Amino acid sequence: MEASRLKKITALWIVIVLVLFVVSISLGIIMRLNQGEVLHLSPITFYSDMTVHGLTMIGIWFVAGMAAVNYVMERYVPTGKGANVFALICTVIGVLMLWASAFIGHFHAGWTFLYPLPFRIAWAAWATPLFLFSLSVLTLGWLVWTLSMMTALLRKYSFTQVFAWQHFRNKNPEKETPPFVLISMITLVGILTCLIAAVVLLVLLFAEFYSHGTFVNDALLMKNLTYFFGHTIANEMLYLGLAVIYELFAEVSGRPKWKTTWYVAIAWNLSLVFILTAFFHHLYMDFVQPEGLQIVGQLASYLASLPAAGVTVFSIFIAVYRNKLNWNLTNMLFFIGVAGWVVGGLGAVIDATISNNFVLHNTLWVPGHFHTYNALGNVLFSLGFFQWFSLQYAKNPVNSRSSGLMLTLLVLGGIGFLAAFYFGGADSIPRRYSNYPDELAAGKTLAIIGGAFASIYLLGILIFFVKVSKRCFGILFSRS
Amino acid sequence: MFRHLVLALLILAYGHPLRATGTDNAWREELNVYQKIYDAPLQLIHGQQSSIRKLANEKPLIIALVFTRCTGVCSPLLLRLKDYLTLQPARGKFRVLVLSFDPRDGQQDLQHMAALFHLNNRPGWLFGINSEIAATNQSIGFAPRWDSSRAQFDHEALLVGVNNQGFITRKLIGLRSDHDLRFLVASIENTFTPTYRMPGKDAMFSCFNYDPLTGKNKPGLGLLFIALPALLSFSLLVGIRLAVRRKNVEQNIV
Repeated sequence: MEASRLKKITALWIVIVLVLFVVSISLGIIMRLNQGEVLHLSPITFYSDMTVHGLTMIGIWFVAGMAAVNYVMERYVPTGKGANVFALICTVIGVLMLWASAFIGHFHAGWTFLYPLPFRIAWAAWATPLFLFSLSVLTLGWLVWTLSMMTALLRKYSFTQVFAWQHFRNKNPEKETPPFVLISMITLVGILTCLIAAVVLLVLLFAEFYSHGTFVNDALLMKNLTYFFGHTIANEMLYLGLAVIYELFAEVSGRPKWKTTWYVAIAWNLSLVFILTAFFHHLYMDFVQPEGLQIVGQLASYLASLPAAGVTVFSIFIAVYRNKLNWNLTNMLFFIGVAGWVVGGLGAVIDATISNNFVLHNTLWVPGHFHTYNALGNVLFSLGFFQWFSLQYAKNPVNSRSSGLMLTLLVLGGIGFLAAFYFGGADSIPRRYSNYPDELAAGKTLAIIGGAFASIYLLGILIFFVKVSKRCFGILFSRS
Repeated sequence: MFRHLVLALLILAYGHPLRATGTDNAWREELNVYQKIYDAPLQLIHGQQSSIRKLANEKPLIIALVFTRCTGVCSPLLLRLKDYLTLQPARGKFRVLVLSFDPRDGQQDLQHMAALFHLNNRPGWLFGINSEIAATNQSIGFAPRWDSSRAQFDHEALLVGVNNQGFITRKLIGLRSDHDLRFLVASIENTFTPTYRMPGKDAMFSCFNYDPLTGKNKPGLGLLFIALPALLSFSLLVGIRLAVRRKNVEQNIV
């Protein structure tokens, strides 16, 4: 009964995520076509779309990772279904509130809603509090879900076990920590921390909004908190996907299950520290930020990418190199996703280098790298899980021809769409421009190219959506 | 239970009295900053024909918007600016354009005004009339209102900084301190100007508190807030582990 309930909740998550993904990609394409002057939106509409696009994308791929981890975690510990459902309800309500603030109230401060932009009201007066309430609802739901999963793990595993500290010294410890448990716990701690940062941020924003001028915030503190939350959650959601890959890649490829080794344990423990301090690289241009924190930002950005990425790529390489694998859509998505994550990560490290950041800051390079490790990284991790999950209960055989077509469209569309960003960044085309002036005419051409390739990517997603959602609806309406 | 929760959240979200923060001078000063000023054709008092951007291309401009029949803030505004600039040792990198926004003003009116302030032959001061007042005002974000009962314009005391590329770099509303005027000049000369929030009771959680006497920054309470999420998170982690361990022990005993 409990297993059936979790199965249905997970299926519902998948359908919701895919529907919101299609809408959000469409908004992205509309924005690129507007920049290319194929469409003509008002700047307000453009920035409202940008706000919704950014926040919805971050939200859905975070919950997709959480839903996947929650489903797989049931193999090791019983998880709370109530928290899962609560998070789902909060997510739906939060997204609807967010969309209402942007599409009806025309709130358009961007997904980073950098202080004091939300208070520089250039939209309906009610849109700012509604936007802040939408974030509060989302944070509440996700916080409860995170705490529930952490509690489930800590019921069974001690601190030493859940963080795999016994693997540091002993090659064959008495009790082994599965890689999935280790990575999930490390990631959940990071998520909890960044959600608490969001709570502090929201409390301060509400305090100023309702103080009517008697309390004002410190812009430097607010920017630090915004990126503590925003940067960290955007990275932690990748790690949720990696946890699932560590569990499923070998399994779906017909290979022996991966085990935690000393270097895997050390790498992931170090990742927790580095990922929580890397966000300082978003403040390189803030001259009031102490220089020491800027250096911490650069070092943490370098170091964060080494343990998790290095160990994961090494593990995948060992699994694939000269080994006969049962290649299928699930492990293909995982494999390409890891490649995309590494490429996007390299782009991020280049930008996080202070001397490079002087050139690349707020150019199209930035959306270039984060779209790479999302559209061709994290999204593929979750799509791999969706495919694997839906096939567990499928009655119909898999159509491999449409799988091949879908994969081709995703990769081809993704590479073309991302290349337009990278070329724009290398050409110093600024990001977040609704319309490019004549001096930046190259930006217009690249936007059209980007929009066209993103449409190819969307086509691939639509094929996937039809196939997987059909199976998920089957699961949702099944009696068992 | 969830239904009630959803209902409560919806009531909280929609039922709360929603109010906007009011606009203030600081916000209006931001309007149209970093936009190009309208390139209005000008007639200067010594008979030359020019335009705003042409003058700005030669040297950055501080534009003072006034009218000659003004019985209000125009004179104090010009006197304040004149006093400030007279005391500045290094002049000559920019000019002041006193620009009338009253269609009734002619060249002679401006000449008279310049003479009245002893500025008619002073280097770096230009007085001019503008045939495209509405477009100029719109590009600046300046909206004087005609009050027919007083036969006067109801308007702000406004100084506009324009750099040599024709961009509005800063606007100052009201009679401002030397400090603000110095920043206005720095902005039109494309000079970097760091700014610090002054200590005040309304900003309790600053990351750093700037001491204007020593010129040093001291760490503030805000820095603690950056560390707070990590501290709370690890406290929660320990708390949960202790709670579940106790529960596990109790269940084993039972």
